[in-house]
Amino acid sequence: MAEVALAGSGLHFSAGGAKLLHGVSVGLTRGEVLGIIGPNGAGKSTLVHLLIGQLTPEAGQVALMGKPLHDWPRRARAALIGHLPQHFEPHWDYRVDELLRLGLDRAGRRAPGLADLAANFGLTAILARRWSTLSGGERARALSATVLAPDPPVVLADEPAAALDVGQAAALMARLRKLADEGAAVAVVVHDLNLAARWCDRLLLLEAGAAVMEGTPAEVLHAPALDRVFGMRFLRVALPGGGMVLAPGESEG
Amino acid sequence: MSFLLPLIGLAAGLLLGAETLSPAEFLALITDPATPMSHLILEWRLPRVLAAGCVGALLALGGAVFQGVFRNPLAEPYLLGSAGGAAVGATVALLVVLPLPAALALPLLAFAGAWGATWLVLAMAKLAGRASIAALLLAGVAVAAVLAAVRSFLMLALSDETVSLQAVLSWALGGVQTPSWPELALLAALTGVAVGLCMMLARGLDLLGLGEGVAESFGLPVRRFVALAVLAAAFVVAISTVWGGLIGFVGLMAPHIARWRHGPLHRGLLPRAAAIGAGLTMLCDGLARAVLPPAEIPLGLVTALIGGPFFLLVLAREVRRG
Repeated sequence: MAEVALAGSGLHFSAGGAKLLHGVSVGLTRGEVLGIIGPNGAGKSTLVHLLIGQLTPEAGQVALMGKPLHDWPRRARAALIGHLPQHFEPHWDYRVDELLRLGLDRAGRRAPGLADLAANFGLTAILARRWSTLSGGERARALSATVLAPDPPVVLADEPAAALDVGQAAALMARLRKLADEGAAVAVVVHDLNLAARWCDRLLLLEAGAAVMEGTPAEVLHAPALDRVFGMRFLRVALPGGGMVLAPGESEG
Repeated sequence: MSFLLPLIGLAAGLLLGAETLSPAEFLALITDPATPMSHLILEWRLPRVLAAGCVGALLALGGAVFQGVFRNPLAEPYLLGSAGGAAVGATVALLVVLPLPAALALPLLAFAGAWGATWLVLAMAKLAGRASIAALLLAGVAVAAVLAAVRSFLMLALSDETVSLQAVLSWALGGVQTPSWPELALLAALTGVAVGLCMMLARGLDLLGLGEGVAESFGLPVRRFVALAVLAAAFVVAISTVWGGLIGFVGLMAPHIARWRHGPLHRGLLPRAAAIGAGLTMLCDGLARAVLPPAEIPLGLVTALIGGPFFLLVLAREVRRG
């Protein structure tokens, strides 16, 4: 029985009178990548913010390693959960090694880990470069390294691939996959359903703040509910070696 | 390099004055302490220059903390209205008879003024939407203008023969008075406390630089930290204002120069900014005494002459960056 590292049960949240999430339950299991999919406004980011404790649910609760999230001391929680945000633009022009140090510092670790961390994320050659001089892919790697520096057992990524080209996006997903294979519980919000199908173990489909279905990529991506939720008829193309790709078909809107 | 500046400033501050000395003249005087001039230098110029150094270090620390906590490269105690708030508090303490000893009332009211004004500016900037760089500065300008009016009114309405209006005025234009040695010791001790206090904020300021969301997920209690940092900065600004009056732009320049040379991490930035602020202010204080002898021009005027163009430079850079 795989261990559930982070679990949200019956989560409700509203803002400005609008119900953003009602009654969503989700579990992040060690060794697994959970893909959170759904159209814009479905509540994906809200769910992530509830799971990392940046928002507090109106009803329902979030448990980290079986203990309510808010019972954990802040720093312990920060070392256990790595959050890759949707947007990241530092206010000062940090050098890559300065960012990594801030990431390592969170786990109470210092310079010895820095070289390994940099090598692990392909940053060794650009350690002395400043943020403003980095390319999109380099920025994504520097941010990932900073957030994932303490090897958090739980990782949540909120559309980390949104600003990346297809190769960089695949590299990032592969990295999240590897973290799960090494024992982390990973959840990732993905817009690209083919990336989701390729790298995730399970998918959670959200619509208007509610969970529509959860299952393996094959189950969810074949389900008629997917077409209904996204308002279009997908073309499902079987691949020679098994699996399939989705292509946008006719819009039903 | 940054840490050499206080020595350069000290040397300049000691040489410059109504009677400007060459290094050779200075050495000759120092080795013969019996002359009236050497007495003047050691008992009058030296404590004054050291006090200017402490005030400059405090202004730089206040500026660095404000820039870090508001993530605004143009924030500084003078422009944010917090020095203006401290000045109103100090003016009340100087002109109103309070049931408190003056030595206590002055710093306490200056602190309350600096703290209150900063929150007022922050609240006004937030009313205008997100606390953007422009909103914060405009709110600071507005609050500073109102505070200056309040201070002028208090000075006109409350001053009498017992309080010299000129003393209050010269202080409002920015200027360091020559302290007694015990006073200087107190100022130096408070400056030391301020450095320690600001260093304790270094890690939090670094994390805040990553954005509030990331800082929060890295374990920083953002709202509590911001409140604490504003409190610490108000303390720093209050001490500098009590001793040096309203001195603009040192709090802007020093952290910027430190950041250009050292990078944005606050553990290294804060002590360097303090050193640069100290050196810069000692130099400016020397110039203020040397330009129009035997008269002395306000220190705030010298720092504004240098700092104004610097501000425009940084502003232009920020506008270009978007």
